[in-house]
Amino acid sequence: MLGTSNERPDDLRNDPLEKVLAEEMVAAIQHEPYVTVTAEATVAEAIEKLAGLHVACVLVEDGGKLVGVFTDRDVLDRVALEHEAMRDRPVSEVMTANPVCVHESDSAAAALSVMAVSGYRHVPVVDLDDKIVGIVSPQRVTAFLRKYFTDR
Amino acid sequence: MPLYENMQSQLVSRLSLREPISATGDTPLREAILRMRKGKLGCTIVVDDDQRPIGMFTESMLTQLLTHTSAAVDDPLDKHMADRWPWVKLNDPIVDVLDAMQTKNVRFLCVVDQNGRLVGLTGQKSFMEFVADHFPDQVIVKWVVGQRHPGRGKGDD
Repeated sequence: MLGTSNERPDDLRNDPLEKVLAEEMVAAIQHEPYVTVTAEATVAEAIEKLAGLHVACVLVEDGGKLVGVFTDRDVLDRVALEHEAMRDRPVSEVMTANPVCVHESDSAAAALSVMAVSGYRHVPVVDLDDKIVGIVSPQRVTAFLRKYFTDR
Repeated sequence: MPLYENMQSQLVSRLSLREPISATGDTPLREAILRMRKGKLGCTIVVDDDQRPIGMFTESMLTQLLTHTSAAVDDPLDKHMADRWPWVKLNDPIVDVLDAMQTKNVRFLCVVDQNGRLVGLTGQKSFMEFVADHFPDQVIVKWVVGQRHPGRGKGDD
């Protein structure tokens, strides 16, 4: 799927976007607003946030630190057919714990890497103390790239 | 040729398209959910007898539905599907995918052939892979050395 640098046509080597991806930090990509719930929140409350705020992912926090994510995919995989039994359970039982995340000082390429290589669509952004500072989505990365295209 | 020019000149068929999950409108939502779980895919495309899309049901629609009733999972798909669905043709330029994601705020795009029949699915993930494919020095290296990045295949479409 992903090639190596030796396989690239020469004319791709000089794309200024490569420099942007390497030198711009995750912080340059829009990563706010974001939505959080506590680990003790119920599944029903977390679903209400997803649906009511029209977001695909809520960050699950404990004392401001990231402990998990709860997404539309978790609803599909772990809740939808068991909704009545699960709705009053804590979201921590069905969230994805210890999610892949990036630091705000990582390169923009790191966020793209998580999405394209690891396959996660929503990438939490944390500071050096692992406190939540935002979330990067494909929509936001696309807007970041689009701005670059427009700026040229 | 830089990335943006490649997106204008290369076709949607160049993207790594996903095999879509398709179903007829009378399929129970419960069955569609099971197929989406098994296929690790966040949408079902509702098609007619000729494999032409007539609707779409996504996991975000499922989340919305569950805020109203749990019983909806026993309804047929066509009761809850969106009757509009974004699409591109195999021979459209890749930049059309970017435009659709930005202007229509969509995650999935049906890919149809010249006769309007469903042949694949593309969207955010395919586009991210296409971009990453252009910058392996940046993206692959981050994947290899990143301590917080598990391997490919952990995530889902």
